[in-house]
Amino acid sequence: MTLITLANVFKTYRHGSLEVPALVDFSLVIDSGEFTVLAGPSGSGKTTVLNLVGGLDRPTSGTVTVDNLDVGGAPAGILADYRLRRVGFIFQSYNLIPVLTAAENAEFTLMLQKVPRPERRRRVVALFHELGIAGLEERRPSDLSGGQQQRVAIARALAAFPGVVLADEPTANLDSHTAEELLDLMRDLNTRRGVTFLFSSHDDRVIGRARRVVRLEDGRLASDSAAHR
Amino acid sequence: MSALAYAWRSLWRNRRRTLITLTAIALSIMIVQAFHNLAIGIYARMIDDGVRAGSGHLAVYRNGYLESREEGLSFLPGDLAKQVRAIPGVSRVLPRIYLPALAQSSSDSRGILLVGVEPDAERAVNPFLKKLPEDGMLRDLDGRDAVIGKRLLTDLKLAVGRKLVVTAQHRDGTLHSELLRVRGVVETGIAEVDGSLLMVGRQRAALLAGMSGEIHELAIILDRADDDRRVFPALAELTGSRPEVAAVSWKEAMPNLANAIKLDYAGQKFIFVIILLIVTIGVVNTLLMSVMERLREFGVILALGSSPARLRRLVLLEALLLGLAAAALGSMLGSLFTWYLVDTGIDLKNFVPENMEFGGVVFDPVLRAAWDLVWMVRIALFVTGLTVLAAFYPAVKAGRITPVEAMRHS
Repeated sequence: MTLITLANVFKTYRHGSLEVPALVDFSLVIDSGEFTVLAGPSGSGKTTVLNLVGGLDRPTSGTVTVDNLDVGGAPAGILADYRLRRVGFIFQSYNLIPVLTAAENAEFTLMLQKVPRPERRRRVVALFHELGIAGLEERRPSDLSGGQQQRVAIARALAAFPGVVLADEPTANLDSHTAEELLDLMRDLNTRRGVTFLFSSHDDRVIGRARRVVRLEDGRLASDSAAHR
Repeated sequence: MSALAYAWRSLWRNRRRTLITLTAIALSIMIVQAFHNLAIGIYARMIDDGVRAGSGHLAVYRNGYLESREEGLSFLPGDLAKQVRAIPGVSRVLPRIYLPALAQSSSDSRGILLVGVEPDAERAVNPFLKKLPEDGMLRDLDGRDAVIGKRLLTDLKLAVGRKLVVTAQHRDGTLHSELLRVRGVVETGIAEVDGSLLMVGRQRAALLAGMSGEIHELAIILDRADDDRRVFPALAELTGSRPEVAAVSWKEAMPNLANAIKLDYAGQKFIFVIILLIVTIGVVNTLLMSVMERLREFGVILALGSSPARLRRLVLLEALLLGLAAAALGSMLGSLFTWYLVDTGIDLKNFVPENMEFGGVVFDPVLRAAWDLVWMVRIALFVTGLTVLAAFYPAVKAGRITPVEAMRHS
């Protein structure tokens, strides 16, 4: 079942009088439950695709549809609710809130959703256990390793049971061993929970573990391993 | 974890900056509270001294007397004094006569204000008469004893025990004179009063002017100054059946004092506003810095699904917590400072002349505060509100962040 559709998307950034094309006539369809990596060098448009799918940015032209919602054209209030309930984000530099504990960070979206505190804690404890970071609930991000912080970030992305998880270079700041572990973990979650993963990477070892690889070059679709479908 | 916990912990990210801002707000609250209480204490003391030596907390006059001080505008108190005395909250009722007159000694003469009083009642409340020795006070209502202002005594080259003649206009239009003897000397510190005051028994004054039981003023002393709001309506009801008289508060009877206090407090308020303005600018600066430092985090929060309105509320909540913490600390410091000012006070004896006059009342050089708890709470809440108000611009700025731009921010 189709979950994400980008159709003839153009995205141009303005730097003063200079116009920089980030995506040029880009189209992509992703089904529910896929585990897709956007590959390509820096500046190829990977992050722009994730931002558009996540409702963080709007296309200059073309349409972005996620689960029948016109993400490119929806009003800001609808987009905030979409990000809150239907998308989970994992960032390259974890982006945990430093004044909150690991569990509180993971609970953050649930707090925004006004989920009662006991239910929040129950879900987060279960996720921590599943992600191999049980016992670290009360630690602050500064007391966690990079790998542990990214696991907390994954817990935060999954806690609200989103339909799709978007991860921008989730392993870029991790050593290769931790990166592989984390990738295995995400694949496992994808398999067991059926969560759709769309992430970006320019690391070949990471790309090699993806089920589907979409390559971008200069904002254009260079190749798609699922093109035969 | 709640928004409250997030806001509170965020406040303490930069501990030193928050502490400095919190201290600045708290100190401003302390200063405003303590100096307001000090002003209230000084004014209360001045009002108390003023009303006891002057027109009372409340007074009854014949219509027009206050404006013209025309001695013909007197009235017969009848049962009024007795009825007023029965109103709860009334401590003393003092009937008085005021006559412009001429005082002559063997060596000089002066224009004076002859005041006819009830000696015992007057001595019980008047701070200057209280200071007189037992043998320095008027003995009866119709005696020839006189209590004289110190400067008048000097001007007339008199001494205690010496005689003087007082001449005033009788109701029949002729001039009448009375021979009096100086029994006591008062010094109020107010040059005008000390140079013109001559106090005698009320009946002696009435005899001189042919007033037969009439008075010019019925001064009413209350148990507590703020009882006037309760007593005044009862008094107005009593005087309601007598259209020729009217009840007034000390503010109308002693406009000089009321205006001097009003002017002085307006000056204080101006200083309070400046202090609070400076503090508000500091709070805006702190909160704005705090917001600008967290652009990336706010971008993440927006990306996670928070609405801009919710983000604005988080910034305002931080300001509210800062304001409440500062209000608690400031009120504690303000209470301690006020307690010191009530208990010990500030002694200005070395800095001001001994008898400094303010609004027609002698100023006590030892300044003491009085508690005004309601106002203290109000100013603490006002400053808290001001802190939240100061956060509006930073909050609006936070709400305008776009997640993508903000997350590029390092």
